[in-house]
Amino acid sequence: MRLKWKLFIASMKMLLRQREAILWSLILPLFMILLFSFVRFDGIGRVELGIVNEAGVHASGLLTALREVKTLKMFEGERESELQLLKKGERAVVLIVPPDYQPGYALEMAAFTNDAKPQESQLGLLILQRVLDEITFAERGESGRIKLNAQMVESRNLTYFDFVAPGILSMSIMQLGIFGVAFGFVSMKKRGILRRLFVTPINPNDFIISSVAMRLVLVMTQIVIMTLVPYFFLDLHFIGSFWRMFVVGMFGAIVFLALGFAIAGTSKSEDQVAPLANIIAMPMMLLSGIFFSRDSLPGFIRSVVDLLPLSYLADAMRSIAIDDATLTQILPQLGGLGVWSVISIIIAVKMFRWE
Amino acid sequence: METVLNVQNLSKRYNGLIAVDGVSFDVFSREIFGILGPNGAGKTSTLEMIETLRPIDGGEIILSGLDVRTRPQQVKRIIGVQLQSSSFFDKLNLKELLELFGEMYGRRVDPMRLLAEVELEDKAKSQVVHLSGGQKQRFSIAAALVNDPVVLFLDEPTTGLDPQSRRHLWGVIKRIRSEGKTIVITTHYMEEAEELCDRVAIMDKGKIIALDKPQVLISKLVSGGFKKERVERLANLEDVFLSLTGHLLRED
Repeated sequence: MRLKWKLFIASMKMLLRQREAILWSLILPLFMILLFSFVRFDGIGRVELGIVNEAGVHASGLLTALREVKTLKMFEGERESELQLLKKGERAVVLIVPPDYQPGYALEMAAFTNDAKPQESQLGLLILQRVLDEITFAERGESGRIKLNAQMVESRNLTYFDFVAPGILSMSIMQLGIFGVAFGFVSMKKRGILRRLFVTPINPNDFIISSVAMRLVLVMTQIVIMTLVPYFFLDLHFIGSFWRMFVVGMFGAIVFLALGFAIAGTSKSEDQVAPLANIIAMPMMLLSGIFFSRDSLPGFIRSVVDLLPLSYLADAMRSIAIDDATLTQILPQLGGLGVWSVISIIIAVKMFRWE
Repeated sequence: METVLNVQNLSKRYNGLIAVDGVSFDVFSREIFGILGPNGAGKTSTLEMIETLRPIDGGEIILSGLDVRTRPQQVKRIIGVQLQSSSFFDKLNLKELLELFGEMYGRRVDPMRLLAEVELEDKAKSQVVHLSGGQKQRFSIAAALVNDPVVLFLDEPTTGLDPQSRRHLWGVIKRIRSEGKTIVITTHYMEEAEELCDRVAIMDKGKIIALDKPQVLISKLVSGGFKKERVERLANLEDVFLSLTGHLLRED
């Protein structure tokens, strides 16, 4: 135990004295997050209108009329989920069509508006009122008015940045695991540092455990810094808890550290590490929903990509950050990462060679 | 004389190629034992099998009563090893490295005493990357001494060093022996073997072809009628070099 501790302390010292390691694992991902905070895919454009249709076919005329309005982007859904989406900022207005709605004959309708998108909400309400008036006029030939009861809902208005920031955090945990371990160990192997170590009666596991512990500390530091800095300086929404982020981060880190050891085990030099590590990391970086939602992937690819460890990690991190998901809610992701850690530890044990 | 290391009929093969071919020798307590030979003679392979770093293909090695093949962990505890090409962790200074290596043997060492042993006290706060070649080799010896080993193995410790550093390292090695250690050293510098070793084994193509005190080996050759082609000069170029540049170390 004492030796493990001493080795851990020594590797922490080495880490802190190594400026490029800090740069790669902390400053660079942070810089990337900063760059993405300038990207605004959302904002301008159409008014997102959510329709909760409780009137069935009676509302089909209304829906068709609304669909023809180019300024609106229409979604249909259940009351609960549409209101959730409104709170998240993915709807500007949610209109409830009551069960007793008949074209031209409902007296009152409820609409919920997004307080963080005042212009879009107002525009949405104006359009709704006009379309309802037109229908009433067409049905009854007189200008009776349906009263829209608008109610403001406090929304968090999540942006693309809130989507991408937990993704970049997950990605840098992956990079740290795969690239950090693979390059670090191969360089120690090549330079004879490991050989010198095993002239002593040291148990190799002590050495591995202490270097894994050092990297887990680094992962926790990444989580804290890459959440707090964007939260305080870049308007990131974060309502989750750090300890849950740590739990998920540890699960993910173990998967990627083990993959790093597997790569280090099969490689003799840094030249062999780079292509192998990239072949594993690159597809996940591009497809696992870090920068773009996996919804846009074609069905078959999507179902495969959903099973990648980075997909699980990014989804879990994101749910905690923006939905305050509990560990029970992200159990599927934790399970996925658990299965992956077993798989990758087995691969690592089979592949890892000290020399 | 007490035997510390007994090697019997040792052999090593790499993909059918015989690197060490039935080597036997004894090393006595408190002697400096040299293994000489050209590159590829099997010196390093022999040494690495004794050091538990390579599996033994054939034969037997008993070190201080321990069978190296069956009890490698116990052997590791009582030997000190300087590898031909090894390096140490970056970013830790010499003092921290020695303390860490001590911990690997479950020992709390006095790093300054070890550094004094190899005359590196003033470099305690330096990192290995900032040391000169000679200083690196001396540090490597200090690291091999953390567990107060019974036998110290040095694999070509002076290769690539300038004459001043080489002579300085000889001084360090002699002093360590005088403090009671047994030392096994490989080299391909003959003047080094003559200067340092009590006995030498000459290896070629995986076999020991001669084993005795350097003076005895020379006398045998001369009494066999050997004559150098040129008459021995009173000095050689290295003497000229050293008298012009001085014996002082240039590394610090």
